[in-house]
Formats: sequence, structure tokens, C-alpha cells
Amino acid sequence: MNSTAPLLVETRDLSFQFGQRPILHSLPLQVPAGSIYGFLGPNGAGKSTTMRLLLGLLQPTAGSVHLFGYELRRHRVALLSRVGALIENPSLYDHLTGFENVEATRRLRGVPAHRTAEVLEIVGLTEAARRPAREYSLGMRQRLGLATALLSDPALLLLDEPTNGLDPNGIIDMRELLRRLRDDHGKTIIVSSHLISEIEKVATHVGVIQQGRMAFQGSLPDLQRLQTGRARLVLETESADTCRNLLPRLLGSAQVIGTGTLWLPWLTPAQTAEVAAAVVGAGLPLYGLRLEQPSLEETFLHLTENAAV
Amino acid sequence: MTTLSASDSFLALPVAPAPLTQLRRSLQADTLKLRRTAALRLTLFSGALPVLLVFMIYLFKGHAIVKPGTDPWPSFLMRSWQTAGTLLLPLFVVLLTSLLVHVETKATAWKHLYAQPVGRGAVFVSKLLVLLALNAVALLLFAGLLLGAGALLMLVRPKLGFQSHAIPLETIVWMLGRTYVATLGLLAVQYIVSLFWRSFVVPVGIGMGAVVSTIALLQWEHADKIPYAAPLGTAVSLRLDKVKGIVVAHELAPHEWYSLAWFAGALVVGYFLLQRRTITA
Repeated sequence: MNSTAPLLVETRDLSFQFGQRPILHSLPLQVPAGSIYGFLGPNGAGKSTTMRLLLGLLQPTAGSVHLFGYELRRHRVALLSRVGALIENPSLYDHLTGFENVEATRRLRGVPAHRTAEVLEIVGLTEAARRPAREYSLGMRQRLGLATALLSDPALLLLDEPTNGLDPNGIIDMRELLRRLRDDHGKTIIVSSHLISEIEKVATHVGVIQQGRMAFQGSLPDLQRLQTGRARLVLETESADTCRNLLPRLLGSAQVIGTGTLWLPWLTPAQTAEVAAAVVGAGLPLYGLRLEQPSLEETFLHLTENAAV
Repeated sequence: MTTLSASDSFLALPVAPAPLTQLRRSLQADTLKLRRTAALRLTLFSGALPVLLVFMIYLFKGHAIVKPGTDPWPSFLMRSWQTAGTLLLPLFVVLLTSLLVHVETKATAWKHLYAQPVGRGAVFVSKLLVLLALNAVALLLFAGLLLGAGALLMLVRPKLGFQSHAIPLETIVWMLGRTYVATLGLLAVQYIVSLFWRSFVVPVGIGMGAVVSTIALLQWEHADKIPYAAPLGTAVSLRLDKVKGIVVAHELAPHEWYSLAWFAGALVVGYFLLQRRTITA
């Protein structure tokens, strides 16, 4: 990663296996300070395992975890005082009210008493704070978990699938909150998800994990550049086969998608013009010619498929 | 791989809270979490059942038990303590331990707890202290209710003669202390079992099985070494002295020493067993 910001979180050759089953292979996570790092991958790729390793809940089989430049294994309790985390489903005591749930963690962390009301305010649960947590909806539970993670005003936030169970409005709210936490409060946030669409609007950096290996890591612009490299021309004509056979120089590398549809890698605008002229010149009907940009979604799928081979 | 050099670290290493601070914070959180729990209700009400049973017996059949003119306190105490000590007390400890640990398991809160800036030692000791305190509260409530029941019988059944004889307070205090010691062994074993399996059913099953098996094994010459048998051992150590009335030895019996040994052994072994555990729930 060609970033000058110091790395707030770094893993070196991080490997983990569960019994005989390997889960992570030499993962080189690099999270610059002040970033929102979208940690992406399909379910079961090793995201939650990585998050647990970053908190010292699991012991790595090999390699090491560094937070704020210090090795986690040697300074776990000290480093955790600057970290807030929400791992998978939030840990809530159903027999306690929302307020008491936050209060329990506040006491555990030794944070000043006024913080409980403050974090409930941040996540918009002040009204519901006196109700038992068992009556909370999935979205409210998620927000209560986030409130707990924010208690100590941590420099680093680890959020594992924080939009799980949220409705579209909840997802937008969460996105706004993450942006505000980074922009106004200077937090570094690692947020994992299996959907790139949830991340692309807020993330500054992206790591894509597939089967325990890092398939891509870099800034969001890096990922977008990768995407432009994969743009294609879609050509619609009468018969795709005839068309390709008549123009081997221009269309030799094209893929036949349907009876009348061809895909070819896009190179330059001049190439587009040349193809159009050639098809018309060969006396073939040109029904359509357009440039298609794969979505980030497709790029993401492409990355995770490649790594699977 | 070692720590980065100081120039690479842009943040001073935060200071970890001192061990005693960690323990104090854990205790403050753990006591809050007791609110409205079954563990707390069990503690407050479990002592009432054996006392209520014995109270009913004396209320309706006291005239057949107490010979006129004799001291009713000895048989009253022995009956109550044996009712409580045989089955109820060991089962209470099994349930209490499982319920308390289950508060975290049910909330899938272990992962949350261990991601906080408190060490595993503080979490371990804090819950143990809460457990010891609840166990003590339950025993004290039992003794208090017992005295209350005796006082009530003075009023409603004066013929039984509870008011004409001194309350054997010294014996009660010694019995309380020795019974508490007798529960420690099984409490520690159940605590470790609960922490290790992180379910409610497994520790309760193991505990109940152990209590029932113990009753079958009471004739065994090594029965005094089974921690689940110790409360019963203490309950039956009450003796009737012709001169002094009801007495109990002012020292720990062998089975109580074994209970203490189980307590220490289970905690040490359990702690090291649990240190390296991975947190998946």
C-alpha cells in the first residue's frame, strides 16, 4: 500500500488454523490511521476470525498483530483500552435495560459516568434506554452494541458486519455515523461486510479476503482503477460468429455472449470508432455498440472468484 | 516479531489498569448484571424451602415430636439442617454456579468481556467472589429464617416450649461456618465445569448426577473425599449432649478439609486450563 499515513493496525504473516483446518494464510492487513477500512469477503472467508485475532480473542498459529505500532500479544490489556469493538451479533444482557447494558461495560472500562447517556444519545437510543433489551428490535440491538463500543471514545473501532439486520434506513444511518466518527472525531474504523455496496460509499480503503488469503488491498481509488482496467465494449449485430470471422484483427479476442452479442476488452476511444467503421464497412448491421464499466460489485466478485481457483 | 521501534509508534502505549483496579471494575459490572437474574432470586428464596418444610412439621405435628418439658431446639435444628444439607444445599450450589456463569453465555458476552481492557484473571476472580458472596448470603438467610421460624413457633405453639429454652446461637454460628466451608469444594468444581462448557445444561447435568451418585456412595470409605458429600457430612455432625444440649465440634472435620483442598485444587487447575481457551462465542 503506497500510503504515507502510519499504520494503526497491521498484521504480519498472520495465520490461523482451527484444529487441522487452516483458516487464514499469512494475512498482511494494513490499516492506515484515519481510514475507514472496508474488510470484504464472502461469508466464511475468515473475516470474523481476523477480527477476533485483532482483539486477542484467538491466538494466531503464526505471525503477529500490531495495534498502534505495538504488538498485541505483549500489551493486550493496555492496547484494548483504546479499542472499541462490535463482534458479530452484539453481546446484550436481555434482563437488563439498554441503559444498564451500556452501564455494565462502562463500569468494566472505568469510563466516567456521564458517558453512558452520551453514547446512547449518539446512537439515538435515549428514548428507549429504560426499556429491557429483550424488547429491542434487531436494529436497536445493533445500535446498542455500537453505543457500547463507543464508550471509551476509542481511537480504533472494529465493527464486524454492523449492518446485519438493519433496514435500508438503518444502513444509511450507520453509514452517516461512521463518516461522522471518522471526519469529526478522527477515528480509524475497520468495518467488515460481505456486501461491497454497503462499504463503497464510506470506505477509504478496502481489503478483500477470499478463503483466508488477501485477494486485494489498497485505497478505494486503487480498487476503482482495477475496475476501469476491466471495461468492455458490447457489440450487437445480426450474427456474432459471422462478424468475428470477418474481422479477425479487430475482433479476434472478442467473446461471443449471445447469437448477436460480442464482448471485447475496451482499449481506447479510437478502437471504438475503428470497430464501428469496420463493422459497417463489412456490410454487417450494427444494432448497438456501447462501453460497459463493470460495477464494483462485479470487480469484487471477480476478485473473490479468481482467488478461489 | 517484536515491537516496532519508538519512531514508528505515533501513539504512546496506553497504561493498562492495575490488577486490583481491573478486579474492582469487574466486580462493579458483575454486581450490576445480577439485577433481575434467576441467580439472585434463587439466592434470596432457596433458604426458605427447608425452613418452611420444618416449620410446617412443627406447626402440625410438633406435639408428637417434642416430649413435654424437653428442649425443642436440638431436634428443630437437626431436622432443618439435614433437610437443607442432604440434597437442597448441593443442588443450590450447582444451580447458582450454572446460572451465574450462564448470564454471560446467554448474552454471548464472553467475546465482549475478553475484548475489554481487563485481564482474564480479573474476570475469573470477580465472578468467583460474586459466587462466594451469594452463597454466603443464602446460608445467612437460611439461618435467619430458621431463627424466625423458631420465634414464630414460640407465638403460635407456646406448648412446644421454644420460648423456655435458650437459642443455641453458638452452635448455629459454628454450623454456618462449617457448612460454608463444606460447600466450597463443589462450588469450585462446578464453577470450572460451567466456565469450561459454557452451557447451562452440561454443568447442571454433571452437578445433579454427581449429587445423586454421592448419595449412593455414602457407605464408601472414601465418601468424605467427595466434595458433593461434604454439606451432608457437616449436617449430620450435630450432636446432642446430655448437659450442653445441641453441640457441634468447634473445628473443621476431615471432609471439610477435603472440601477446601478441592476448592484450591479445582481453581488452580481450572484457571490454567481456561487461560489458553479460544473465545468463539
